[in-house]
Amino acid sequence: MKRLDPRKLALGAAAPLVAILVSLLLTSVILLAAGDPVGAVWAQFFKAPLPRQIIAIVNEATVLYLSAIAVAIGFKMNLFNIGVDGQYRVASFAAAVFAGQHWLPGWLNIIVSLIVAILSGAIWAGIAGFLKVGRGVSEVISTIMLNYIATYLVAYLLKGAAVKVEGSNATSTAIIKEDSRVPGISLDGIIATPNKLYGLIVLAILVGFLYWFVLSKTRFGFDLRATGRSETAAVASGVKVKRMVLLSMVISGGAAGLVGMPLLFGQDYAYGDTVQSGLGFAGIAVALLGRNHPVGIAFAALLWGYLNQLSNGLQIGAGVSDRLVLIIQGIIVLSVVIAYELSRRAGLRLEQNRVAAELAAQRAKQQPKEVAA
Amino acid sequence: MAVELHGITKRFPGVVANKDIELSVRRGTVHAIVGENGAGKSTLMKILYGVQQPDEGTIAVNGQQLTLKSPTDAIKAGIGMVFQHFMLADNLTVRENVVLGAEKLHGIGDAASAEIRRISDAYGLDVEPDDLVADLGVGARQRIEILKVLYRGAKILILDEPTAVLVPQEVTELFNNLRELKAEGLTVMFISHKLDEVLSVADDITVIRRGTTVAEVDPKTVNARQLAELMVGSALPSPQTEESTVTDRPVLTIQGVDLAGGAGRRKVLDGIDLTIHAGEIVGIAGVEGNGQAELVEVIMGMREPTSGQVFLEGTDISDWQVREIREAGVGYIPEDRHRHGLLLESPLWENRILGHQTQAPNVKGQLIDAKSAKADTERIVKDYDVRTPSIHVTAGSLSGGNQQKLIIGREMSHAPKVLVAAHPTRGVDVGAQSSIWDLIKTARRNGLAVLLISADLEELVGLSDTIRVILRGKLSGAFDPDTVTREELGSAMTGAAGAASAAGAGTTRHTDSTSDGGTP
Amino acid sequence: MRQVMKMAVAATVASLALAACGSSSTGTPAATGGSTGGAASGIKVGMAYDVGGRGDQSFNDAAAAGLDKAAKELGVTSKEASATTGEAESAREERLQQLIDAGYTNIVAVGFAYAKSVGKVAKANPNVKFAIVDDASPDSTGANIENITFAEHEGSFLVGAAAALKSKSGHIGFIGGVEVDLIKKFAAGYMAGAKAVNPAIVIDVKYLTQPPDFSGFGSVDKGKAAAEGMYQAGADVIYQAAGGSGGGVFTAAKAAGKMAIGVDSDQAKTAAADVRDVIITSMLKKVDVGVYDFIKSVKDGAFKAGVKVFDLKSGGVDYSTTGGKVDDIKAKLDGYKADIISGKVVVPSK
Repeated sequence: MKRLDPRKLALGAAAPLVAILVSLLLTSVILLAAGDPVGAVWAQFFKAPLPRQIIAIVNEATVLYLSAIAVAIGFKMNLFNIGVDGQYRVASFAAAVFAGQHWLPGWLNIIVSLIVAILSGAIWAGIAGFLKVGRGVSEVISTIMLNYIATYLVAYLLKGAAVKVEGSNATSTAIIKEDSRVPGISLDGIIATPNKLYGLIVLAILVGFLYWFVLSKTRFGFDLRATGRSETAAVASGVKVKRMVLLSMVISGGAAGLVGMPLLFGQDYAYGDTVQSGLGFAGIAVALLGRNHPVGIAFAALLWGYLNQLSNGLQIGAGVSDRLVLIIQGIIVLSVVIAYELSRRAGLRLEQNRVAAELAAQRAKQQPKEVAA
Repeated sequence: MAVELHGITKRFPGVVANKDIELSVRRGTVHAIVGENGAGKSTLMKILYGVQQPDEGTIAVNGQQLTLKSPTDAIKAGIGMVFQHFMLADNLTVRENVVLGAEKLHGIGDAASAEIRRISDAYGLDVEPDDLVADLGVGARQRIEILKVLYRGAKILILDEPTAVLVPQEVTELFNNLRELKAEGLTVMFISHKLDEVLSVADDITVIRRGTTVAEVDPKTVNARQLAELMVGSALPSPQTEESTVTDRPVLTIQGVDLAGGAGRRKVLDGIDLTIHAGEIVGIAGVEGNGQAELVEVIMGMREPTSGQVFLEGTDISDWQVREIREAGVGYIPEDRHRHGLLLESPLWENRILGHQTQAPNVKGQLIDAKSAKADTERIVKDYDVRTPSIHVTAGSLSGGNQQKLIIGREMSHAPKVLVAAHPTRGVDVGAQSSIWDLIKTARRNGLAVLLISADLEELVGLSDTIRVILRGKLSGAFDPDTVTREELGSAMTGAAGAASAAGAGTTRHTDSTSDGGTP
Repeated sequence: MRQVMKMAVAATVASLALAACGSSSTGTPAATGGSTGGAASGIKVGMAYDVGGRGDQSFNDAAAAGLDKAAKELGVTSKEASATTGEAESAREERLQQLIDAGYTNIVAVGFAYAKSVGKVAKANPNVKFAIVDDASPDSTGANIENITFAEHEGSFLVGAAAALKSKSGHIGFIGGVEVDLIKKFAAGYMAGAKAVNPAIVIDVKYLTQPPDFSGFGSVDKGKAAAEGMYQAGADVIYQAAGGSGGGVFTAAKAAGKMAIGVDSDQAKTAAADVRDVIITSMLKKVDVGVYDFIKSVKDGAFKAGVKVFDLKSGGVDYSTTGGKVDDIKAKLDGYKADIISGKVVVPSK
């Protein structure tokens, strides 16, 4: 038997495709029921994105990717870090305040700010990890609570840290000066748009690579995956599960801390009340959709970014509510979760059948007389 | 005929299912269904109890053809099932447990109590409705389970491996109950692979092998050996102790180990003293739940003893972590391999790494050395005869015996000094069983100190150099497997026959070693 | 099975999160295209609303009213689109750009969140005329941008004075939707007005949510709970600057038999009929006037870039008298109004 079983691969790819098809079908039903123009909607959907839209989609996917990786680190351990949202906001704020002080010059300021973000996210998530390990508090509950606390804590601190800009009603931290900004990556010559990709897309790719490398190539990653697959077996194999829970929560939070960085250094140059929000929750959906796989998540993040980007076209081009995008996203997540579980079961059954069949064939070859008997 | 099954076929992936089952059960008899583990007995019974539906074939109860879609249908048809694992709430009384889910029959009050007493008297079950289940022993709990089924009006009872959890004296009691049920006109279907028991109680015996019925025999005309050979389809293996390889070099020494229970409970382990020498197999007998699992957890470092020490070749390892203990050379065959020994959804080569994540050939520094681990998995598959098409299939797709051989191969690949084997042949087929026995004997020959925990007395007697019995967290004195009888062990396991069998109970560690040394 | 359950939990949380994003922007009908009326003028207006869009009974609706008036009287055609909660900066830029691409070359961006995107898109489209409501920051300054701002603190001063004059307990309240600078401006003016009448007055101030949680502008229940608390604590007049949450404040006032003050539009006319009688006055922030004036200036060829402040003097903010509840103190209020206009009284904005 080969390592990459084509049937298993096909099954793996079929699940999300089927789920997306089902979602499109269900959405059409909803459109028909609401009396909206199905044709115009799908025309908007399948229109090739303009160059500037491609940039927007990839940029959106970049932050979603980081968020989904943070969520996936927890998922791999059977830990549900619902708190990526709070973690990244705390971290973005801390990094924005730090970077805005310009205690360090240029790139050094950026690098140390990134470390500040990682640490803040890690500490925030570490609270939930500590509560779980020390007090047995479910990480689902504690991270949701910490999201609320993060909201109010950041709002409170932002009041103190805010820098007033004459004529503006927005509240935000000090603007990071030119020398500590990460320049965008221009795709000039490939597609025609002055817009640029976030320079920190490189960071997202690096995080994705590290995620893959640590999980599949290191002892630590093995212990982490083993704990996720079977906590009891991991304990018996010598994994200190409590330590793993705390560590993976901290690492997940550290990754979450980076979510806002492409925005901070590549677009907003400050943290305030108009920065993109809700990325942590979207990350959960993207991680589910991408099956916690570093490449799968990349595709899922692009799909998510693509769908988000549609909300304007649907309103302006097709004249339907942008809420349709939320409906489709919701349906896709649910269909995908169902499809994955079904295909996982089907895959296991397929393999068991094949093992039984191959062994039977082997036996028949080795002991032809037993068949006769 | 109470039950007639005709041409029952049930297909499952990867396991022996049922194929063309033919079975006729006469009313008012005890009908035994025997077969080795994994032969398809339990699947068949689940089909009869409506838990699973057959792909082909017909079921007739009292001459009437039925389709059983759920246990509710089966109960309506007068079929009741007593599962191997009891489903009783400890903190409720017998009456509350019995009426739970059947409140409509006789209410939940005095009428129910009266009905429970009536059934108990009619069949000699000796069940008192107001007793708290927590206070009752295993035998009594089983009788409650039987009563629960009778209370719901069952005329046909299915008992799935009812004796697995009982000691010999309780088995005798159970069989007396079954005879009473039979005398009252009820039909009992009795699943077992313990042939002596089957022969003593059954009126008819149906043998299942590889998912199909191969013979119906009369217990008066066969002996246990013939029956066993029918089950296996070939000559029967049995564990045979070889010449003693016991040395006087202690490898694993346990001194005065206590493990506290929950608040207000008695100790789970109570003054355990045990020495295992190089080349020695010490067998631990006992009814499940008397501290065997905890003893293993203490040795493996999953729990720290409340007091006392564990020494590995003279080094105190009582407060070491699991990983350190495994690295120091303690191999572990866990009682429940699915929960503690394998990652069922991971490929075999990753399972080969499990438990040895820090050791060559699995790792190089902090990195997993997948190439070497895979090569070594191929070696284990070959050397230990793990039947698998590839090392890339998930562990869950292998049969139990092959999973166990993989675990043993893995544990033996790191030059262990001690092997802790908990129920090493539970749930594996006969072929794999004898090769696992051989592997354990090889380990002993190679000078390992082996702790063997088993519920199978035959296995213990056949493999061990010394047998100790564990009861309520305490170890009895040493028994010589060559001379001990099943009754002696049974008495020690229940603590029933006090003084006689507990003769060696006061022996110290010192006398242990002398008696061990003296066991040829 | 455990795995399935956990997946289900995760999926539920994810979808709840999505639903939460959706719910804070409720009640908008699908954006409508091309409303024409009167003589077609050839002027095409693209409206980019803030979260909530047309139908929020508050800020966005005020802007929409200006557009509707322009459609009727000036015969312009329009296209509308609204923001999604927590959207990316690029989504705002994209919205403006798509409106332009569709030929709607006079853009009204409603809300300060559009500051940067208006600045950027305006630069890329020098021939398109823009108006942004509530922002005059350097981000949104440009040769083709009109910054429509309001002196909310001046209008709030007047209703603050009205509250203090009407209060019998010497104890009044302020409920802001979200604690952002803009809303704090309302509070500052309100408090100054109240204290000008009665320096010893007790003023409770509460904001329903903190950014980035903007649900305080759309949660009737939160508004109601906060108002109930204040009325029980002894306040007898509450001024709400809480968008859609304001309805809850009125309900609480009705139940407690106390008074309330509306915001943005003349809420004694627009609020639910059964609570109108508790609204003694409203602070009028005439976003509709700002929007209409912009469109008219474009049509007349009189567009002028830069900040346009709608204050008491220009009539862009004011207090309302519908219902006659402040008729008795009208003279006093108009006195303050004159003082502010003349510069005799300077109202603090924070």
